[in-house]
Amino acid sequence: MERVCSRRFEVGTRSTTRRSFAAVNRRSAAPGSAYIATCSRRIASLAAFLVLLASSRGWGAEYTFIVAGLGGEPQYEARFREQANALAAFARQSADADAVIVLSGPEATRNAVRRALTTLTQSVQAQDAVTIVLIGHGSFDGEDYRLNLPGPDPTGRELAAWFDQLPSRRQLIVNATSASGAVAEDWKRKHRIVITATKSGGERTATRFAQHWTAAATTTAADVNKDDLVTAAEAFDYARRQVETAFKADAALATEHARLEGENASTFAVAGLGAAHASAGPETAGLLAQRGALELRLNEVKERKTALTEEAYYDELEQVLVKLALLQRRIDASRTSIEGGG
Amino acid sequence: MRSMTPSGASGATLLSTAIAACVLATLAVFGAAHAGAIDYDPRRSASLRVCDDHQQHGRIEQARKCYSLLLTDSNLITQAEARWALGDLRAANELFRRAVQDNDRAVQARVRWGWLFVQTHQYADAAELFRQALRIFPKDVHAKLGLAQTFAERFEGQAKPLLEEVLRENDELPAAHVLAARMALEEGQLAAAERALDRAAQLTAQQKQPPLEIYALRAAVELSRERSPHAWIQRALDYNPRYGAVFATLAHFEVMRRRYREATVLLRRAVEVQPDLWSAHAELGANLLRLGDVAEARSHLATAYSGDPYSPTTVNSLRLLDRIDEFETTTAHVEIGAHVYQVKTRLHRDEAAVLRPYALDLAQRGIDAFSKRYGFTLREPMSLELYPDHDDFAVRVAALPGIGLLGVTFGYVIAMDSPSGRAVGDFHWGGTLWHEMAHVFTLEATEHRVPRWLSEGISVFEEWRTGPTPGVAVPPEAIMALKENRLLPVAALDSGFIRPSYPNQVQVSYVQAGLLCLFIEERFGFEHLAALLRQFTRNVSTEQAVANVFRMSSEEFDRQFDAYARARYQTLLAHMDEWDEQQERAHEAAEKEQWADAVEAARRAAALYPEHIGSGSPHLLLAHALDKLGRRREALAALERYYTAGGWDPAALRDLAHWLEEAGRPRESIAVLAALNYADPLNPAQHEELGERLLSEAQNAAALREFQALLALSAQDPAAAYFGAARAHRALGDAAASRRNVLDALAAAPHFKPAQEFLLQMIEERQNNE
Repeated sequence: MERVCSRRFEVGTRSTTRRSFAAVNRRSAAPGSAYIATCSRRIASLAAFLVLLASSRGWGAEYTFIVAGLGGEPQYEARFREQANALAAFARQSADADAVIVLSGPEATRNAVRRALTTLTQSVQAQDAVTIVLIGHGSFDGEDYRLNLPGPDPTGRELAAWFDQLPSRRQLIVNATSASGAVAEDWKRKHRIVITATKSGGERTATRFAQHWTAAATTTAADVNKDDLVTAAEAFDYARRQVETAFKADAALATEHARLEGENASTFAVAGLGAAHASAGPETAGLLAQRGALELRLNEVKERKTALTEEAYYDELEQVLVKLALLQRRIDASRTSIEGGG
Repeated sequence: MRSMTPSGASGATLLSTAIAACVLATLAVFGAAHAGAIDYDPRRSASLRVCDDHQQHGRIEQARKCYSLLLTDSNLITQAEARWALGDLRAANELFRRAVQDNDRAVQARVRWGWLFVQTHQYADAAELFRQALRIFPKDVHAKLGLAQTFAERFEGQAKPLLEEVLRENDELPAAHVLAARMALEEGQLAAAERALDRAAQLTAQQKQPPLEIYALRAAVELSRERSPHAWIQRALDYNPRYGAVFATLAHFEVMRRRYREATVLLRRAVEVQPDLWSAHAELGANLLRLGDVAEARSHLATAYSGDPYSPTTVNSLRLLDRIDEFETTTAHVEIGAHVYQVKTRLHRDEAAVLRPYALDLAQRGIDAFSKRYGFTLREPMSLELYPDHDDFAVRVAALPGIGLLGVTFGYVIAMDSPSGRAVGDFHWGGTLWHEMAHVFTLEATEHRVPRWLSEGISVFEEWRTGPTPGVAVPPEAIMALKENRLLPVAALDSGFIRPSYPNQVQVSYVQAGLLCLFIEERFGFEHLAALLRQFTRNVSTEQAVANVFRMSSEEFDRQFDAYARARYQTLLAHMDEWDEQQERAHEAAEKEQWADAVEAARRAAALYPEHIGSGSPHLLLAHALDKLGRRREALAALERYYTAGGWDPAALRDLAHWLEEAGRPRESIAVLAALNYADPLNPAQHEELGERLLSEAQNAAALREFQALLALSAQDPAAAYFGAARAHRALGDAAASRRNVLDALAAAPHFKPAQEFLLQMIEERQNNE
């Protein structure tokens, strides 16, 4: 039974957590999905998944919707399209192709965005995670934000209304356009994290944020704690820092200051790397539970740093970290064994 | 013709530095320049002259009473002058305004109002008023003189021709001769200064005007001749015991000669004799800052501000001092042979940990090289100050923000932009520091007697010969000046720095000075350059020094240099038009992505002008085009030529490093990556890559430095830096430091697998050894 469960986890992690629209629409008829959910709940009870399960990768499916708006100039058009494609390609590595929607160039019209969000609304369930990334130029006239698309531009209010139809309780909306800060407050909801490239609608210069968000969400660069999982908080910090560094390198006055609104950004995964792609069987799950406990212990030691002598601090660190390292070997061996089918 | 801009090359760096030093000289001195100026205008009312006489003899109370009686005078100009003399500048300003409003043809009111603006450092407003007066009455020599004074205050080239025009129109203006003497002194033309002073003295005697400014300038002439100025100081003080301006004037010229200690002594005397000489307090504060005495500088600047709140230099300096706590000051001991030198660094706390090792490394190399080459041993600690905010640096050196400086040397103190103060690729901070360190040696070895051209020339020459980006880099402007016979005789080259007469002349003068040193080295041998510098350990003119060292007149020296320069650039001079055309073609082809055409044109342009390594360098175009055509090997060769010629564009050097690595030349690749630290030191990825590469080559100490720099740059993502440092420490045999660092790495990133494995291996080895 355990064996079957672990195999189902393998399937679940690899192809169902980023479920295709077609698959999702058939979900009620898919016998595997209920079982997967059962296993998920069992895993969720384990301390080892304190981090992993709290993240969007822990349960439910993941959907990604990317819009690359009007560039206005050829270099912007190309850049926006490249960024959208890079994000989509990475998302598709762990999902069915149609769990990831990209609209760019002439296709990215107001109606197309509305239709795609309607489709998404029909597909997504409450436990699923939805990531929406808007790339391009935005504008703000003091009252309304507008996303610059071919044809009529959707306003911030219209977009908010479409987003609000999504039943997902785990939403991340990254508006990387100029003037995007205008919507940071308006789009914020209880289960939604909103990231904007600018602090307000007044920052109207073409932004650099999308470029660095793309790097954060598609590489290991933003994975500060090296757990092979990039969270929204890590990606945001990374992109924000890179934007800041880029302006400094150009000795230019920063024309954008990114914002993050909403809670749980540190548990919303935007990219799984390496081992985070791999499946977790019950044995692994048990080990991960132990790892979670050790991480809590590590945090305690770090918090007591100022109260300890240097020698005592490093001694205590070493004790915990050696245990963690040894445990990690076992986790890796366990994962290898699952992947190898053994 | 594609002109070179100050980016992308060491040549550009030195050019920008050149501008810097000129502006410094201009701005650093103006505070004292106008101190105690006297109104010689014969239109000045007799009633004011009575009061002036008290004032100019130091009878302050009588002067005050006298001027007070004129506050109700029927003439608005007289009222304004009285308010001005009593220190109520706002009221004086308002009265002049009314005088001008009442009479839109008023010339004298505008001229005197202009002078009020000169005193309050508002030169643009002053110039506008003088121009207005000239529009009303084009022949008013006093307005012209005011305008010339405004230009002179800002060291603008128009000052001289305008003053000559004034003197042609009216030879009987003491103020004009005083200004002529001052400008001649500033250019080191002592005989001309004396002639002007003789005439001014004659006129003041005839016109019964006070001789105070003449005494002060005569004292300055004596000082310039290294003779005692005491007799003239005494005559000035006998005339007016409160005439602090005599000391301030002397200090002004000492600052121009970069003799800051001597200037400080004089300025202390100035404020002692005349405690309300605010400009002297301001200059003393600025000078003390140059010498690194922050506390006393603050005190004098505050005093200056209390009396003259209009001076932007004082206000800016005080603002900078309010933020001085943001800087870390440390002292390092640098061992070179049997000597131990102290090097002080003042770096912003946000970047001190990254920059300090590289700054100290350059300091050590610089001290070693220059001590040997010029036979001079530093006698005091050398101080390096790097300012991340360019305006802070500009305020630090000249007290005005927004000016195009890169680096300045005040004796043993070097102040410069930090690499974070400018866009990446805008300037090579290592080259700038090298240039400034050479100044420390040339200035101190000669007790600041070295003429500007030689000090700058040696700095430029050392950038080319021994600096972090060696290679003779001569920009197109200098070649054009050579072609059009616009280079100056060596004996007059200082004027090209102080009062340029055509655009870019300052930059051209820097390059000419560098080429003169190169000429000396190549024609006579380096030892002759060192010998020429040693000539200035005493007070000699350039002509005398040239004659002593080279046994020829400076005219003959100029002829030989001209022939040398023309021979050196023979090909380019003969094909300037073709070079220009090929450059244009190469750029156009590259823009159209017609790479084969770009290769052909860029190759020819590079062959004609291989020293062009600035923005738009044909080497870079060639490398890029060849790479686009898939000819990486040839592209690598083109980039190597660029690098060898002194090119340092960070993006190009990163390509070069990677291509060298690909070509199986790891050591050369590492050397290029290491060189990047002196162009773009705040790039974390670069430190990480270099650290890893150095570790792989077992250059462990150097690797450790890179990981420590990475750590300083990666506060929010420190795991990789700690892990690199752990491996470097281990390779260096420091097990305890290695343990701490790997534990720190894992504390930051508990799942960092390579670090976990390293920790387990470390534990295993420890257990085996127990």
